[in-house]
Amino acid sequence: METVAKKSSTIKEFIRSIPINKIGVKDLLNFEKSPLNIFLAALTLVFLGLFVIGVLFYLLHGHHAYNVTREHPWGLLIAVYIFFVVSSTGLCIVGSLGDVFGFKDYMAISKRAIFGSIVTIVAGFAVIAFEIGHPITMMIYNVLTPGLTSAIWWMGTLYGLYLTFMIIEFVFLLKNDMKSAKTFGLIGLLVGLAAHSNLGGVFGFLNARTISNGVFYPTYFILTAFITGVFIAFIMMGFRYKLSFPKEIQTMLSGLAKIQALLISILIFFVTWKFLTDVYGGMPNRAEVAEHILGSWTFWTEVILAMLIPLTIILASKASAYKAIFFASLSGMVGIFFMRYNLVHDTQLKPLQEMKIREYQLPPEWIHYFPSATEIMISLGGLGLCLALYYVGTKLFSLDTEH
Amino acid sequence: MANYVMVLDYKNCINCKACEIACKEENGVLLGADKHRIWVGSNNPKGEWPKLDIASAAFLPSQCQQCENAPCQDVCPTNATYYDKNGVVQVDSDKCILCSYCMVACPYDARYVDDRTTTVDKCTFCSDTRLARGEVTTACQNTCPTKVRTFGDIDDPDSEVSELLRTREHFSLKSNLGTKPKLFYLT
Repeated sequence: METVAKKSSTIKEFIRSIPINKIGVKDLLNFEKSPLNIFLAALTLVFLGLFVIGVLFYLLHGHHAYNVTREHPWGLLIAVYIFFVVSSTGLCIVGSLGDVFGFKDYMAISKRAIFGSIVTIVAGFAVIAFEIGHPITMMIYNVLTPGLTSAIWWMGTLYGLYLTFMIIEFVFLLKNDMKSAKTFGLIGLLVGLAAHSNLGGVFGFLNARTISNGVFYPTYFILTAFITGVFIAFIMMGFRYKLSFPKEIQTMLSGLAKIQALLISILIFFVTWKFLTDVYGGMPNRAEVAEHILGSWTFWTEVILAMLIPLTIILASKASAYKAIFFASLSGMVGIFFMRYNLVHDTQLKPLQEMKIREYQLPPEWIHYFPSATEIMISLGGLGLCLALYYVGTKLFSLDTEH
Repeated sequence: MANYVMVLDYKNCINCKACEIACKEENGVLLGADKHRIWVGSNNPKGEWPKLDIASAAFLPSQCQQCENAPCQDVCPTNATYYDKNGVVQVDSDKCILCSYCMVACPYDARYVDDRTTTVDKCTFCSDTRLARGEVTTACQNTCPTKVRTFGDIDDPDSEVSELLRTREHFSLKSNLGTKPKLFYLT
């Protein structure tokens, strides 16, 4: 009994020793009232409002509030979930550069990036909770009757563990216990990478969908996660230092920009070869889907915003035009959103039942999908939640690394 | 315990869609064009009148192929999709979380969402209805005017399905995917 009481008091003591700023509503409203800040605050509130409305519609109408169908069961919310968890994994990788791998130049962003990885995955979970039909049943039967051959089971379970490790790592970072932060950071990073490649596996295991089937997505997900992490790192730092970066931050951003140029180049190389192999030989169900994707504006939006614009700016400025790279990173994140949307939609483009089954209709050719208002509201709400949590975090915690 | 399969002499199909109606009626499938466990596919005949390519307009009845190696079962995160004692692929609606992964993974588009339980539903070879009552035919088979479908136990060498598969050439849909379907189409 005494030991239990002792342990509980030790835990309480540990929690009490985590440096958290005591804040109230006043502190939250206390920010520089520049037009941009007011606009962002209003936008966040609008997004949160839309989230509430979207969730209400979903609770009233279920999946009928979404434009998902029998032939296209995964819609915008799956894409947005992927967008957030990719961001989380990316921020975890960027955060790990300093505190796990010991690259001193990148220590300045470790705490902020790890906090960002927690916030983004929480936003992802908030969105997916309204896409999964029975989230409570999921938590129960994921444990009672686990489907070990299911990539979704592995992805969900590993992401749950990952979030736990990220929180523990963040706590140790706050306490400036770098040794423990490194240990939990490394475990978290490995679990995160495993979870994330499993998310790629969710698509890669689809034997019937030849456009997605194979090793491409599990590896591509890790690469694009790193790219996303660097984009967000630039955005976070841009807002933190209002685009006038101190010397040590410039050193870090220059390094990150060079890494980013390499990563985007590899991505372009990967994507080029994916499409070449997809189209080559005109293989049924693969070549025509690839050609269809190549003819879609969403694909070129992804290429231009996430690849060409950032790469051109980084290369043209020799990784030193930090302000321009900040804006290129904003463009990059819009491109990354399209990347996720395309991945989900393109997987389901080709109907698997290709004959007509009703009179007065043509045989199905391509599956059409456009998100419903509810799907868009919940997705924007996820972004609002992410921004709000991040803002609260900047008030609650000291996210700058002391030098 | 049996190992149920279905053999389809699909060239006999006249696209009357009585099987679709019987299935809905017997199994209480909700109304609505996208709520169906089985369907008859057709193509518009190719060519120009009067030289129409009649063969291109054949009808193809289809449904869940009751795969022996079912992708929908592999991808289910909660094992809600399972093989019952007769080898029929079933969904336990208590465990289904409606992640829709099985709908994306099924190569035959054989799954849909049942709005009453908001879980995934599919053909069960009438396991919960006719077979549970001790009958030995499925609703779609029983109603078919041209006897397209034959249903039975492939492990019984004296069954009609065994006889048909022994004596007639047949194929399965998308067999290249290794799903080992239990619906056989006679040529």
